[in-house]
Amino acid sequence: MSRLIYWVSVTFCASFLILPLVVVWPLAFNPSSFLTYPMEGFTFDWFAKVLSDPGWTRPMLNSVRVALGVTVLAVVIGGLAALGVMMTRRGTQIVLSALFVSPLVVPSVVVAVALAYAFGRTGVGGGYLSLVLAHSIVAAPLVFLSVMTSLRGLDPNLDLAGASLGASRIYRFFTVTLPLTAPGFAAGAVFAFITSFDEVVLALFLADPGSSTLPIALFAGLRDRLEPPIVVVAVLLSVLSVLFLMLLNYLQKRHAAPRS
Amino acid sequence: MSHAKSQPHGSRFAAFLLLLIPTAIFLLIFVVPLGSIISLSLENTALGSRFVTFNAAAENNPDQRAQAVLQDLGAMDQKQLGEVARMLNQEKSGFRSLILDTGKKAKTIPPSMGGLVAFDKRWAEPDYWEIISKNAGAISWRHYQKVSGLKLDAAGNLTIAKGDLIFMRVMGRTLVISVEVTLLTLLISYPVAFAVARGSRRTAATILTIVMVSFWTSVLVRTTAWVVLLQTNGLINNLLVWLGIVREPIQLIFNRFGALVAMTHVLLPFAILPMINVMRTIPKAQSDASRSLGAGPIETFLRVYFPQTLRGVAVGGGTVFILALGFYITPALTGGPNDQMLAYFIADFVNKTLNWGMAAALSVLLLLIVILLICLGKLIQRMLAKRERAI
Repeated sequence: MSRLIYWVSVTFCASFLILPLVVVWPLAFNPSSFLTYPMEGFTFDWFAKVLSDPGWTRPMLNSVRVALGVTVLAVVIGGLAALGVMMTRRGTQIVLSALFVSPLVVPSVVVAVALAYAFGRTGVGGGYLSLVLAHSIVAAPLVFLSVMTSLRGLDPNLDLAGASLGASRIYRFFTVTLPLTAPGFAAGAVFAFITSFDEVVLALFLADPGSSTLPIALFAGLRDRLEPPIVVVAVLLSVLSVLFLMLLNYLQKRHAAPRS
Repeated sequence: MSHAKSQPHGSRFAAFLLLLIPTAIFLLIFVVPLGSIISLSLENTALGSRFVTFNAAAENNPDQRAQAVLQDLGAMDQKQLGEVARMLNQEKSGFRSLILDTGKKAKTIPPSMGGLVAFDKRWAEPDYWEIISKNAGAISWRHYQKVSGLKLDAAGNLTIAKGDLIFMRVMGRTLVISVEVTLLTLLISYPVAFAVARGSRRTAATILTIVMVSFWTSVLVRTTAWVVLLQTNGLINNLLVWLGIVREPIQLIFNRFGALVAMTHVLLPFAILPMINVMRTIPKAQSDASRSLGAGPIETFLRVYFPQTLRGVAVGGGTVFILALGFYITPALTGGPNDQMLAYFIADFVNKTLNWGMAAALSVLLLLIVILLICLGKLIQRMLAKRERAI
């Protein structure tokens, strides 16, 4: 009896989580323009259509450009913040950590209003720069947390060993601390890229027509008319997410390997 | 040694250098902008900057005030006059015509109280003067009055303006939807987390992969899937018709049902992951011990296992609730007009009417609720930790 309850509830709940995605994706390969089953065949036409339509490819390129900029900036901000915070006392650590994590809990609409107003007033204006700055602020906390985790896992004796052998602070930092936390930085970079690439709300407030990103185009398409190209874009975004998830798993495994 | 342990990788000076750039950036493009929306929500330049002479005039000298009002109104161009008239009319109807008429003739009216009253009798009523001096200041609580539906009348009492409770109703709806979504999320998350923490190795790995794929797929993409599934001629409706459960497609999207289903799905991983973390710390030996002492599997679960997982349920539920409060994209795409939450109206004020003041006031409200909830959560966590230590 209890086994039955267990299996029924687990199957139902896990299906709710994954079935909506699994069931919808094949429709991107359906020749019919109606998004429903049964499928009438198998085609890559919709993919070809999306990849040759500047209405989709331009936002795609914009998204990549913004996300690359965000990755660099967020890794610098988040990484420096984590390295610095680790060197301070406990009390300071708590205050600064709260500051560097806070963008994660503030609703993105509120951040969007604040930044749109601030950028408008200071003349940063809509477009590439404002998107990179805004996304970096919400991506930096993820880099910060990721680097903090790997710094916390670091054995302090390694640094002491370096010191006892006569290495200076700066030399130890570049030859001991940084290489050992590199996987944390790499994972943070992955987080930053995908966060920016998937972000909609800030982009809706800050982008101008020239810097419209893929999620904006997808959002606009969904509001306008539901067509197969929308599902194609959703499939492309999912594939990217899964690839990044695999990359992250690989990074974590490599991180864990030397210690075991 | 203790010194080396607390600061293993450098000195305080190095920490200062490292923290300089990130702290400056966080202050400049996060903390300061957030602070500026507070001032934006109180800002009153549209009215305040138009009554400079009036604000400087002595309050107990009617002639000086009359002269000042005439000078200020005379200095405004047609557009500014219209704007001021519209804003003051919101406080007292009839103000529009008074301002427009007086403004047009401002140069010809004798600059004294007598002259003004002779031009329009309404200037003799203290109400109008009261309203100008209350609204011509550098800051104004106008936006918050609109948000709360409360109004200060001439006597200084708080009154509820009829039909003006729109935003309180939106606030209530936001809270109700967030509670509903949180409960649904917890209900579905629990078995999933349980299977990952307690299931066989293969079940756990499979389900964890499912959770992670879902977590990493963007909110917009998962919402897209639901739009495709729930539309009138979509997969679910076709399935229901094919199975003969319904005769005609039923409305599954652009209503509360659609919004709840999609939001729950999007937020599930945020409840599942903290639950898994807590469930993994509960030793399996406890359940075995309970079984060996004669308790059945259901009794063991309810009395030994479940109470210990409540901490994970609380953390997951709190996270989901806070995230749900600020949701915009998913309800905008799957809900109906009566399922839109606070965030939707904030975006609406910015995008459609360019009313930054109202958008800022609603943002401050949303932010305050979120901060309040986080503090509450921290407090509860601390109390629980204290109790655990006491035991």
